[in-house]
Amino acid sequence: MINRRFFVEALTLVASAILCAVVANLVAARDRKVAWVGDYKNALTVPPRASSAGAAAVPKSASAPLESFPQLPVTTAPAAPGFNPILEPASRPAAAIVAPAAIAARPSTAAERTAPSPAKTFPPHPDRPFTEISGEDVALLFQRKATIFDARRSSVYAEGHIPGSRSFSVWEADIDDKVKDLLSEGLDPEAPVVIYCTGGHCEDSHMLAEKLYKIGFNGALVYKDGFPDWQKRGSPVETGMPK
Amino acid sequence: MSSSPAASERSGAGQRWFLHPWLTVRVSIALGAIFVAAALPKVVDPPSFAHMIYNYRLIPAPFLNLMALLMPWIEMLAGVALILGIWRRTAALLVGALLSVFIVAIGINIGRDNAVNCGCFDLKSADKSQEELMGEMKFVVVRDVAMLVMVAQILAATRANRNLRGREDSLFGGEESS
Repeated sequence: MINRRFFVEALTLVASAILCAVVANLVAARDRKVAWVGDYKNALTVPPRASSAGAAAVPKSASAPLESFPQLPVTTAPAAPGFNPILEPASRPAAAIVAPAAIAARPSTAAERTAPSPAKTFPPHPDRPFTEISGEDVALLFQRKATIFDARRSSVYAEGHIPGSRSFSVWEADIDDKVKDLLSEGLDPEAPVVIYCTGGHCEDSHMLAEKLYKIGFNGALVYKDGFPDWQKRGSPVETGMPK
Repeated sequence: MSSSPAASERSGAGQRWFLHPWLTVRVSIALGAIFVAAALPKVVDPPSFAHMIYNYRLIPAPFLNLMALLMPWIEMLAGVALILGIWRRTAALLVGALLSVFIVAIGINIGRDNAVNCGCFDLKSADKSQEELMGEMKFVVVRDVAMLVMVAQILAATRANRNLRGREDSLFGGEESS
């Protein structure tokens, strides 16, 4: 009798919670909604610690949302600058990941990296979802008016973003629709597109690159150090909500 | 042996204090308030909570958003039930189940050295190092165990009360509060 009563009460509470969750998600603002079924490639993959990955120590990052994502080497690794042990499929052999010539030839010192070549190109990379690029490359692409996507939450985007960038948060419910709409907009799938989040451990830009890759975009370039680096460089920042 | 009259007398005072309705009401309200406070930011911003759950790397992707939507509402309703004294025993059991899940989830990530923000009350990422986060996770486990003791108090008190009153299992004044 008592057990039955407990189960009835527990079921009532859980059923009420389900009802509240459904209604809340239906009436929520666009940036507060989530898709019912998530699509996160590395949901069960534990990122290795930076030290065990042989990378530099993880610096404190003011706005890095993920704590344990490995800090990748700065763009000095010529073999595979975009390779990420977490985000790249384990089955993909490292040797198959070939950096585009322009990226592989990136200068290795900070001084050399201050002035990117205006002739630098960012060819498509159909063999993998993204390539990581530095702030200099992003500045160059910004000057060339390349498409830029901000993968952070839209509320964070509103507080400050790269001018002209578009808000494409991977955690908000409308992301898949937004990505699909890109094709109908006539955006060239081979053209370089910059994606950024908060740098450091942030995976949001990589996740967005994967989504773009799935629908045929081969030019995704992930801004490795993200928006904090953009601000540090004194580059222009725009505020306001996404359209 | 422990049920002999002499042993019962020795532990009687402590037991009476632990099971006293005065304490149970306060523990219920405190625990309920904690859970409501924890649920509010998650209810308001499910995408951020989904992100927090993702960081634990324990939930398969298809269930991650469902969990982010549902769990805060279970926390909220169980917390409200505890505060109001409605279905107190059932609400305490649900809270206990949630706390156990949290302890296991954090414990697994401590074990595999995956430092995460708890996401218990605040969904904003803090500027913390791996070591600081690991220390915080250990503290959260201790805090959750302390809250489990609160759950145990409510369950023990409501059970004792039910035994005393026979078929009536309400805690105060015969009201139906389980």
